[in-house]
Amino acid sequence: MMLRVENIAKSFGRKAVLNGVSFHLAEGSMSGIVGENGSGKSTLLKIVVGAMKADSGRVAVAGCLGYCPQEAQLFSQLTVLEHFQYFAAAYSRLAGGKGNHKWEITRNQLLEHFQFGQYGRHLVAHLSGGTRQKLNLCLALFHRPQILVLDEPYNGFDWETYLRFWEYARQFQAEGGAILVVTHLITDKHRFGHIYNLKNGMLQ
Amino acid sequence: MTVGRIGVSVSMMLRMMFRRRIIPILLLVIPTVFLLAVYATTSERMMPFRLASVDEAVFLEASERNISLLFLAVASVGFLSSFLALNLIQRESAVDRRLVLCGFHPVALLLSKLAVLAGCTALIALYVGLSLLAFFTPERLFLMILGLFLAGLAYGSYGLLVGSLIRGELEGVLLIVLLANIDAGWLQNPLFYAEAENQFIIRCLPAYFPSQAAIAAAFSDHPIGTSVLASGLYALAFLAIAGTLYFIKMRRK
Repeated sequence: MMLRVENIAKSFGRKAVLNGVSFHLAEGSMSGIVGENGSGKSTLLKIVVGAMKADSGRVAVAGCLGYCPQEAQLFSQLTVLEHFQYFAAAYSRLAGGKGNHKWEITRNQLLEHFQFGQYGRHLVAHLSGGTRQKLNLCLALFHRPQILVLDEPYNGFDWETYLRFWEYARQFQAEGGAILVVTHLITDKHRFGHIYNLKNGMLQ
Repeated sequence: MTVGRIGVSVSMMLRMMFRRRIIPILLLVIPTVFLLAVYATTSERMMPFRLASVDEAVFLEASERNISLLFLAVASVGFLSSFLALNLIQRESAVDRRLVLCGFHPVALLLSKLAVLAGCTALIALYVGLSLLAFFTPERLFLMILGLFLAGLAYGSYGLLVGSLIRGELEGVLLIVLLANIDAGWLQNPLFYAEAENQFIIRCLPAYFPSQAAIAAAFSDHPIGTSVLASGLYALAFLAIAGTLYFIKMRRK
């Protein structure tokens, strides 16, 4: 099992957002989480990646994790290439000092796959919403994690990029990676092995 | 490897700072405007004043213009450094948190910010100190610049503290402007200080020791060691609190 989530509970003040949520991700699996606005999907993902503390419950992760937040968290005054450089410095602490050459290869593969290499020297402040989202996603994939936790990763993508995202996800899955995606698009449900509906703080 | 990571971080922070054009513009414009305004509105009348940081009652004499120029130089370095620090610690802190989540150690991130702040403060102090040469020749130029640098360091640390405590940019700027205005921009003026009541209150404020160091260096040959040490301790105290708060903020779940 690559990810095991057991009995997660979280409240904000008196409002219970998550109430005993449990699920797991196996190697090579792809699961989706759907739910109404404000149902706690993003809160659950933040707890899974360690960005937020649960009131109770347990998260066990076996492998390196990549997280794409719902809103693009990027430096407006840095270029696309500079973001890759900065995040390589962050990830290298976890990856035990992977050489610069390997980071460059991965970066170039991502830029090519998601087709935004031409924006490498552009400041984030000058990019379109879709291109920002591509960078937001690629920074989560950059260190080649084994588990992907993606919060509405294709928001603002054009049709071709959307298809390229699923192509990447299929390949990632085929190589044994596990993916958890929060989505609003019910049309994607055939792509997932499991779909969980988060309602009243519980997965159904 | 951590040194390399701090190097990357410092380089990125400097790029971001200088790409926001308002910052380099402010760094150049504020001291120039302050100094020219003082030059245009003060006289050459000689004024005796007390050097407060020296134990015995030491009276110095300098022109009203030169005293005001130096006093406003201290204020402008302090104001600019605190503004810079606020900008460094408060802006895009959500992305800083993402970096920490991706493996960047918060202490390495904080050290990068301190390195950028100290470097920029040194440059501002040098620029403002050398600008003063256009108006008068201080007794000990480099010690006077050291005083300006210490004012920047004390107020820069204060800016980091405000940025760690306050989330809103406007509220942060307001807190900085309020203290900088009252302290560095008013109470530390040696002409005001000489006649002030309850002087111990003025001595507790962050600009007191740096101002005294700069004034003593510019207009006398009195030693400034105590003022330098006390300024450093002041900055260190602010930094310790700001650093702890920043670390908690970055690690908070």
